[in-house]
Amino acid sequence: MRRARNLLALLLACVCLPAVAGASQSASLHVQFTPERLGHGTTVEVTAQIVAPSGDVPSPLTELDVHYPRELGFAVSGLGLATCSQARLEADGPAVCPAESRMGHGSALVQIPTAQEVIQETAELAIVRGPNQDGHLALLFYASGTTPVSAEFAFPGLLLAGPDPNHESIDIIAPLVPSLPGSPDVSVVQLYAALGPLGLFYYEHVAGELVPYRPRGILLPKKCPHRGFLFAAEFGFQDGSHANAQTTVPCPRAGRLPIGSAR
Amino acid sequence: MKRNSHRSCDVHGTAALATLLIAGAVAVSTAGSSAAERDSAARAARALEGTATAHLSLLEANGSELIESGKVSGALSGRMRADLHTGAVFAGSFTISTHAGSIRGRGTARPSEESRGTRYESFRGTLVVKGGTGRYAHAHGTAGLYGVFDSRKETLIVQTTVGTLTY
Repeated sequence: MRRARNLLALLLACVCLPAVAGASQSASLHVQFTPERLGHGTTVEVTAQIVAPSGDVPSPLTELDVHYPRELGFAVSGLGLATCSQARLEADGPAVCPAESRMGHGSALVQIPTAQEVIQETAELAIVRGPNQDGHLALLFYASGTTPVSAEFAFPGLLLAGPDPNHESIDIIAPLVPSLPGSPDVSVVQLYAALGPLGLFYYEHVAGELVPYRPRGILLPKKCPHRGFLFAAEFGFQDGSHANAQTTVPCPRAGRLPIGSAR
Repeated sequence: MKRNSHRSCDVHGTAALATLLIAGAVAVSTAGSSAAERDSAARAARALEGTATAHLSLLEANGSELIESGKVSGALSGRMRADLHTGAVFAGSFTISTHAGSIRGRGTARPSEESRGTRYESFRGTLVVKGGTGRYAHAHGTAGLYGVFDSRKETLIVQTTVGTLTY
């Protein structure tokens, strides 16, 4: 009897659930450098938004490839001087990872459609350096949310050659995250990731003392590429659809330093 | 906890560097003990075999592009200048200047699995020699390469592995 009641509840939930987008999602991308100084280290802040038609909840994100200009010095950023394994990250969270493995932070706004409403939740993101995979530099993203869905999980991103000679890529396979019983997997509607030294401190031994310092950050070239720094992203969704977005960070003016920026 | 993990990374990196330096030193001493014979044999055969090790320091960083230079020793001795792209793949061109002429070439490498993300990033790849000047005007050949990049000081140690240079 109890089983039948549960089944009925599940069927009703299915009938009444807000629709998860059937038509294709669209996406937008915004990127900024903080600070914005050519020839200096910076934090690259990426914001992506995913929208489904008619206000529906987008299909869950399964893949994200971010293409960045090859002139950006990720490998010489001084970031990721230690690694943290995915198993350790999943078991104990980023707090147990070496400080020198931290490469950035971020957040994800997700939607969970239920029978009555669409619930929103913000998950915190930590970005750490993972062990190299098949000769590729690896990042690990750790997401943690508490209410209403409590979940912590880690997923990798690899630095790969880009789709053209002017770009390289960070390819991320996003895991499906179960939500509430009877509801679809959670859908990402906004993603913010800051890759760089903003808010980070590393430690080094100087004359026998452990001294904190801020890593240099992703090195911007001394000259701006023609027409600015072009970023693009490809999004893959659970329903098999894809979306693309691109944006350009305009060339910073010489000596331009936004108010409140570090160094 | 933080202290311990930091120390263990340093020790690991130093050990890796020390291993490489010892390997480099062995290569140099072997070459040095019979330098005259090797030089004359090489001239006759117009080929060089063996390892060479370069210790490079950063001259200029421009985004992902680095210009490094320093001493080369071993099967070849002189100075090396390398223009490197440090990205998903390390790639670049180099010029080795010796007393008998210069050698030009290109190389690519990828991070090694054993790097494990310490400040000393090791990588492996191949290099191709594509000409030069003086005695090496028609130089060509390929070799494997192994390197360690110190991401804190941005210095580079590159060692060639098996390969032959014909000129």
